[in-house]
Amino acid sequence: MRLTLLRPEQPELKELLVEASKALAVLDAERLEGLALCCQALARDLAPMSESQRDLLRQQARAAVDDMAVFARVLEATRANVQVMRRLRALRSERLEYGQWGMMEDGRGHD
Amino acid sequence: MGTINSAFDIITGALEADQAALNVVANNVANANTPGYTNEVPDWQQNPPIYVSGVQNGDGVTETGSTSQRDRVLEERLDQQQQLASASGARLGALNTMQALFTPDSGSSSATAGDIGADITSFFNSFGSLEANPTDNALRQNVLSTASTLAGDLSNAAASLNAQRTALDQQAAGVASQVNSLTSNLAQLNLEIQSASPHSDAGVLEDQRQQDLSQLSQLIGINQVTTENNGLSITTTSGQLLVSEGQSFSLTTGVVNGVTNFFVGGTNVTAQLTSGGGELGGYLTARDIDIPNTLGSLDQLAYGISTQVNTLNNGGTDLAGDNGNAGDIFAQPTQVAGSAAAMSVVMTDPNHIAAAALGAGSGDNTNAIAMANLLNQTIVGGQTPTDAYSNFVTTLGSTVSQVQAANTAQNASVTQLQTQNDALSSVNLNDEASSLTLLERSYQAGSQVFAMLNTVMAAALNLGDQTAVS
Repeated sequence: MRLTLLRPEQPELKELLVEASKALAVLDAERLEGLALCCQALARDLAPMSESQRDLLRQQARAAVDDMAVFARVLEATRANVQVMRRLRALRSERLEYGQWGMMEDGRGHD
Repeated sequence: MGTINSAFDIITGALEADQAALNVVANNVANANTPGYTNEVPDWQQNPPIYVSGVQNGDGVTETGSTSQRDRVLEERLDQQQQLASASGARLGALNTMQALFTPDSGSSSATAGDIGADITSFFNSFGSLEANPTDNALRQNVLSTASTLAGDLSNAAASLNAQRTALDQQAAGVASQVNSLTSNLAQLNLEIQSASPHSDAGVLEDQRQQDLSQLSQLIGINQVTTENNGLSITTTSGQLLVSEGQSFSLTTGVVNGVTNFFVGGTNVTAQLTSGGGELGGYLTARDIDIPNTLGSLDQLAYGISTQVNTLNNGGTDLAGDNGNAGDIFAQPTQVAGSAAAMSVVMTDPNHIAAAALGAGSGDNTNAIAMANLLNQTIVGGQTPTDAYSNFVTTLGSTVSQVQAANTAQNASVTQLQTQNDALSSVNLNDEASSLTLLERSYQAGSQVFAMLNTVMAAALNLGDQTAVS
C-alpha cells in the first residue's frame, strides 16, 4: 500500500475502501475491525492538518468517491443478508423446539 | 410378552442404528469434495416399548434414513443473488467493451472512436482557419480532410457497436439451449424425487437438482415454487412456466426485426427476460438498451453536424460561383436513426466549400465564420457538438461505474450467502450459529468503517471550500 498523509502507517482512502469491501465480502471481521481502528486514527488526525495535508486528503477523497459507493452497496447487501439469516435462524430454532416437543411423544399418544 | 431375547434385540438394534449412522458419516466424508454435495444427518425413530414380565423397558431407536442439511429458503436467496450478479457481470463486460471504444487514442495516427471529441473541434476549427484566407486551396482541402476524419471515426464507432450488438445477440441465443438442457434435467429430477422420496429429503437427487438450479440461475432469472410431494415448479421472474414438476417447457428463439427474440409457449418474453436477471438478462440489457442508447447519441451527433453544415454550405457561395447550391459536404441523412453509421464526406472538390455569403465575392469569409461558429451553437439535441459528445462519454462512464458497484456488491452477497450455506451444511447447529455471529460481527465492523470514512470524506471534501459569511 502507498503510504500517505497524516501518519506514515495510514493507507490512502481509496485503498482503505477497496480493502474494506473485500474484507466485508469474505466476512473477514478481524480485518474490518483493524480497518475501523485505522479509520479512527484518520478521523482523530483531521483537525491539526497543514494546508498541504488538507489538499492531499481532499484529492484522496475525490478519488475515492466511486469506491465509497461500492462499499456502501456491499454494506447494504450484507445488511440484507444479516436480516435474512436472522429470520432463517429464528425459523429453524422454532422448528427445532417443535421437533423436540414432538419427540417426547411416541406417535401413539404416550408422552 | 417380552423375553430376554427382546432385551438383546434392543442392544442389537442400537448397534445396527449406530452402524447406519456411521455409514451416513462415512458418506459425508467420502463426498466432502463432491461439488454440490450436502452433508446428511441420520434420522432416528423411537421403537415401540418392550415389556418384560409386564414391566416396560427401554425401547431403543432405529435409523430410518438420512436427511440433507439444507435450507430451501437460503438456497433460493443464494440463487436470486447469483441471478443478479450474473446479469450485472454480463452487462458490465459489454459496457467495458463499449467504454474502451471511446477511450481517447494515445498518440497513434490511426482513426479511433476515442478521438471523436478532438475530431469535432478540429473540423470546426478548420473553418476558422479558412476565414483568414477563404480562397486558399490547402485550407479548403484541410476542411474536407478533417470532415473525413470526423465522419470516419463516427461511422467506425457505429460499426463497432453494431458488431458488438450482433455478438451479444449470438451469445444470448446460445443461452437458450443451455437453459433448455437444464430445465429438461430438472423436470426429470423432479419425477425421480417425487417417486423416490415424496415426503422427505431426497439426498443426492436434491443435491443434483440444487446444482442445476444454481447453473440455471447463472443463465436466467427464475422463480421457484415448491409443489406437492417434494416437487418443484420453475418460472421466469415474470411468471412464464419453464418447469412444472415432471414437464419442461422450452425457451425457443426467433429473429424479429433483425435480432433474436425469445419465446415460451408462443409468447414473446424477450422484454421480460431482459429485466429478469442471469447472463441472458445482462446480454439482452446491453443489446437492447445500452448499445441502442449509445448509438442514439452518436446518431444525434452525426445528424446535427451533417444537417447544419450542409444547410450552411448550401446557403453560401463557393469558389466556382455557385450561389445557394454549392452542394453537401456530408452525405445528407434522411433521419436521425442510422446517421452515425452512414456518415461520410460526399464533397470531393474543395472549391465547392461555400466560404462566402450568398451572392458575395469569392474573397468573402462570412459563411466560413458561420460554419466555424457552429462549434459553439446548440445544434445537437439542444447542446453544442462538443458538450453533446462530452456528456455522452460522461453518461457512459457513470453507467459503467454504477453497474460495477452493483456487480461488486452482488458478488460479495453471493460469497457471504455461500459461506452461510456451507456452515448450515456442516451439520453442527453451533457452527451455524457461529457463522451467523461472524456475519453480524463483520456487518457491525463494516458499518463502523463506513460511518467513520463517511465523516472523514465529508470533512475532506469541504476542507478549504469558501463559505459565505454574512
